[in-house]
Amino acid sequence: MQANEEQLKQVLADVLDLEPSAIGETASVDTIEQWDSLKHLNLVLALEERFGVTLTEEQTVQILSYRLIKIALEEQGVRFDDHKV
Amino acid sequence: MPLGDGCRLKKQKLVSTLRRLASEPTYAAYTAAANALEAITPEESGLPPLRVAILRNFTLDTMIPVIKGEIALSGSYPMIYLGDYDSIARDALTPDSALYASQPDFVIIAQWLENLTPSLVARFLSLGPTQVHDEVERVLTETDAMVASLRRHSNAPILVNNFPLPTYTTLGILDAQSEDYQTHAILRLNLELLRRARQWPDVYLVDYMGLMARVGSAQGMDDRYWHIGQAPIGNRAVVPLGQEYAKFFRALKGNTRKCLVLDCDNILWGGVVGEESLSGIKLGTSYPGSCYRAFQQEILNLHDRGVILALCSKNNEADVLEVFRDHQDMVLRETHFATWQVNWGDKVTNLTRIAKDLNIGLDSLVFVDDSQFECDLVREQLPQVAVLQLSTDPSTFRAKLSAGAYFDALVFSAEDRERNRMYRDDAQRRNLIESSSSLSEYLAKLEMVACIGLADELTIPRVSQLTQKTNQFNLTTRRYGEAEIRTLLQNPEAAVFYLKLSDRTGNLGIVGVAIMRYSEKLAEIDTLLLSCRVIGRGAEDALLAHILASAKARGCTSVRGRYLLTKKNMQVASFYAQRGFRLVAESAVGSDWEISLDQEAYPAPAWIQINLTYQEIGYAS
Repeated sequence: MQANEEQLKQVLADVLDLEPSAIGETASVDTIEQWDSLKHLNLVLALEERFGVTLTEEQTVQILSYRLIKIALEEQGVRFDDHKV
Repeated sequence: MPLGDGCRLKKQKLVSTLRRLASEPTYAAYTAAANALEAITPEESGLPPLRVAILRNFTLDTMIPVIKGEIALSGSYPMIYLGDYDSIARDALTPDSALYASQPDFVIIAQWLENLTPSLVARFLSLGPTQVHDEVERVLTETDAMVASLRRHSNAPILVNNFPLPTYTTLGILDAQSEDYQTHAILRLNLELLRRARQWPDVYLVDYMGLMARVGSAQGMDDRYWHIGQAPIGNRAVVPLGQEYAKFFRALKGNTRKCLVLDCDNILWGGVVGEESLSGIKLGTSYPGSCYRAFQQEILNLHDRGVILALCSKNNEADVLEVFRDHQDMVLRETHFATWQVNWGDKVTNLTRIAKDLNIGLDSLVFVDDSQFECDLVREQLPQVAVLQLSTDPSTFRAKLSAGAYFDALVFSAEDRERNRMYRDDAQRRNLIESSSSLSEYLAKLEMVACIGLADELTIPRVSQLTQKTNQFNLTTRRYGEAEIRTLLQNPEAAVFYLKLSDRTGNLGIVGVAIMRYSEKLAEIDTLLLSCRVIGRGAEDALLAHILASAKARGCTSVRGRYLLTKKNMQVASFYAQRGFRLVAESAVGSDWEISLDQEAYPAPAWIQINLTYQEIGYAS
């Protein structure tokens, strides 16, 4: 089982067409050019599917960076304190 | 243009994302595949394009990566025309619209009811019975007008959706108590939509209502994005809906599977017959035997709709035959199977034998087994074969097989009902061939009768089906929908012939198609194909002799034939060369051939009696 951290990076990489290694803590709408409104819709869908959660309306519009996504997922009960494999 | 390194890398990326998608069809994997497709041109990908136009009155952009990924999985390069939001009528009704310029292979009309008739959905109680009727009628009339215009200007199959039932109705439990309330008003609308769609050739209903019932409408419809961006399809339904559309593409493009190959122990019954004996296996009317019985019933349903059944299991053949013959709770019997490999050999060899026996491709097979080892081996060695592993919880077998939608088709013809019997007849023919000293003696013994006719309303569905399903003996592999065949029938410069075959062991139905296009002195063979079941009996020559003779009767002096190379039609690469045609052009994708009609008539095989089922004007017999 992949650690949640890595799963999150994989989802971002799939949707935004990047290598998982290219996604750092500071990744955001401002640093990733192709993260537009349509890709954002795709991202919400992929995140909800992968982590089995339903984000609130507020969260779906707020999660515009890697950190904010992590916070929103943690609020939904996804844990990120597990150790990397 | 030689492939550069950049191109090779892009291709590798596409292949690896598709491989991942095939094993885990998650939304993230679909977006990754869509991104890989975006990065590569159709030419670089080497895949034939498949053009899909999507006209919609709601936001469905999230579904597009799913459609793209599915099309690529079926071996084509997706080219999507996405109509502007709520511009279906503008696109459909204007002959020079961007829609028609995109020359779609498929047109999707995706309509969301609330945007067509807000009152019927959101303010049902504001409408009286007459107004409900009027609203329903308006939706139907408007939809029908768009379909009519599309049908006039394009031959592409049209996919129209019906409407999901509301998750919650204003009247609650009362709503179901009267036909006049919301639920039944929408059900009536859906029924009438179906009736009107059936009036048109190649118009199909995409069952949003059924899909939402399967997914659960509370999960399948999402008010968050309905309000944020007019995107009503919930996250749980986006992938299933994209896959649903892809089933239509596959069915109409000849990419569906044909044969179900089954393991025996722990698939058709519980336990191992070699260990536990006839009375020890689990099969019957009580749990867990009832699960296997239900599974067998579903397999029998597939058999009845024309799926070929085969066995591939590691057992003593005598043990298996004993179960099939003597177990009183068996639903499936020996006669339901076209062929079997019950032995201790490896399954890769046995599956290859089954495909060869039935004269179908490995990519027509679905292999069902409970063993991880066997499934992995087949996935690894024969990636063309679809593998369904069923290992735990036999109560779920039936649903898992259905969910695969391997055999989805849009035609159910008389030939389908008869298919398994026909394959059993083929087995008898094989016995006959073994008892004949030469091929010609065998062919004569078959007492074949070919009826050649011009396609008509009755035969259009089967003719269209053959163009869509036939891969091996198919010179040009051009796929034609029913609407396109119908258009050809109205064209005085074209003719669509079919060949029906019967012999002493049975009626084989329509097994050959030839489509001709005529100009002044030249006739062109647009399509020439033969069902794989009758290859090697001379039926192709009977059909060819007829189309040449009829071209001559029309006043043509020469006939041109074309061979277009595909992955599967190598066996007919030299078809025209072997029949006295002269090569006139050749390229990497195929070759053009011509034969002059001055010389003596091309001979039809002596062992086939040929009957014409139509009168040909000016045909000199």
